[in-house]
Amino acid sequence: MSEGLVEALGLAVELGGRRVVDGVSLRAEAGQVVAVVGPNGAGKTTLLRALAGLVASSGELRIAGEDPRSASAQANARHRAYCAQKPDCAWDYRVSDLGDIVGAADPYADCLNRLSLAGLTERRLTQLSGGEQKAAFLAMTFAALAEPYGAALLLDEPAASLDVARQALVAAEIRRFVQAGGTAIVATHDLSFARSCDIVVVLAEGRLTAAGDPSAALTPDVIAATWGASAQAEA
Amino acid sequence: MTATRATLAGLAGLAALVALALSVGAQGFGWGDGGAWALLRAPRVLAALAAGLALGIGGAAQQGVFRNPLADPGLTGVFGGALFGIALLLGLAPDAAWQRAWFLPAAAFAGALATSGLLVVCGRGGSSARLLLTGLGLNAFTAAGTLVIASRSGESRELLTNGAFGDWLGMATFELAWLPILLCVAATLLLLPLARAFDLLAFGADAARGFGADVAGVRRDAVLLTALAAAAATCLVGQVAFIGLLAPHLARKIFGPRHAWVLPCSAFLGAALLLGADTLGRGLWPQAPLSAAAVTAVLGAPLFIWIARGRHE
Repeated sequence: MSEGLVEALGLAVELGGRRVVDGVSLRAEAGQVVAVVGPNGAGKTTLLRALAGLVASSGELRIAGEDPRSASAQANARHRAYCAQKPDCAWDYRVSDLGDIVGAADPYADCLNRLSLAGLTERRLTQLSGGEQKAAFLAMTFAALAEPYGAALLLDEPAASLDVARQALVAAEIRRFVQAGGTAIVATHDLSFARSCDIVVVLAEGRLTAAGDPSAALTPDVIAATWGASAQAEA
Repeated sequence: MTATRATLAGLAGLAALVALALSVGAQGFGWGDGGAWALLRAPRVLAALAAGLALGIGGAAQQGVFRNPLADPGLTGVFGGALFGIALLLGLAPDAAWQRAWFLPAAAFAGALATSGLLVVCGRGGSSARLLLTGLGLNAFTAAGTLVIASRSGESRELLTNGAFGDWLGMATFELAWLPILLCVAATLLLLPLARAFDLLAFGADAARGFGADVAGVRRDAVLLTALAAAAATCLVGQVAFIGLLAPHLARKIFGPRHAWVLPCSAFLGAALLLGADTLGRGLWPQAPLSAAAVTAVLGAPLFIWIARGRHE
């Protein structure tokens, strides 16, 4: 079996005395998009932050062969990028500044083009809608890993606040990233997006309850057990 | 106006301001007799420029590290801590305090660092109210401590009271001021390379770490260097509020929020504002000059209210 680009074994996070992520193991290989799904409070965001090495965790963890908890900041920046569900910024930068700030002006400009934001580059962040801002932050994250080969994207609810057209553009951008040799782990509430991914990981109360290809992980029984019978009817 | 034109206009304006400041003496405007103006006024002008550099960039750095446009070492108690450090040394060892050039700057640095540490521990977390309330408490504590020491110390009472009113520039001589001037310039130069890290930190600690910033290291360096800037500036001028608030705010208005511009421009504007305030206070009332701190407070207080109001809305 080939080595996974992201490998976690028994990953656990405790916050305020509560075990928010409890012994999660997962593996993502180059070329794969992994969806992390689960109800509110299941631990998806904390799992993503733990995978990025942004929160203290126990268990084994490797991204591109290195443990992000002990790797240098520069090595981490080469191997993985993380975009929060609700990114914010203290200062009112121009949209075009964001590429310079991550040191990837050209890849960022290309990505803005593909996400249909090329006409907004001279605007200030506060002059954008919530969805446009989120897309600009996502473009910044994609640009930070301008060389996707051997790198991991960790995206928390990338589709939140995006319109349908831009959701499709972001999904295409994620696919483009993994096709170039990277992997993407995406926390999402959108089960139809999850079904389009290569692997689905289902979390409930911090524990992994199902994992595998979408048809095996998102069965009616799993959906009913995780979200309740009404969700099963919706799905 | 392009950045180059703004820079050239700013440098020309500062040169004119320096000439004006050198021409103001106890008798009003004039160049004085012989070389007296150089010996008497040049140290004061240099001290005001250096302290202004440190005050301006210290404000920008504190705003960058706390991600908060209302952070200012004057308002968050760091200058108060520096003055309290000086007061402690003068109160405990009044004779020893003047024996070495670095004793007073070191005491000021220890005081500024202690208040900075408390501010980081108690006031961090993104909320303006929390940061400013912590600063308010630290300011009140250090001001009270300084006044208690001043009231118990016959020799240093006037000196400390003048320091609390930001009225020390008149004492500047090359012999007293050379070390704090060097420290102001050093703190300014050492803060400039943190510009990119402050830009990354603007997106929050998680994002900054995600993009490769050593967040803990940047915070540590910024807090240490801001304390050094505050300590050195306090040794030169005493306690001055609002320069650290005004200068970065004006810099962002002129050049936008990128810290590669905000940091040097805040230093430059801080120098111009402090020298301008000192010159105005001396020029308008040559016989009984108004302190630079009083002039900057008159200009800065309304601006602070305006910024706070805009932020609230």
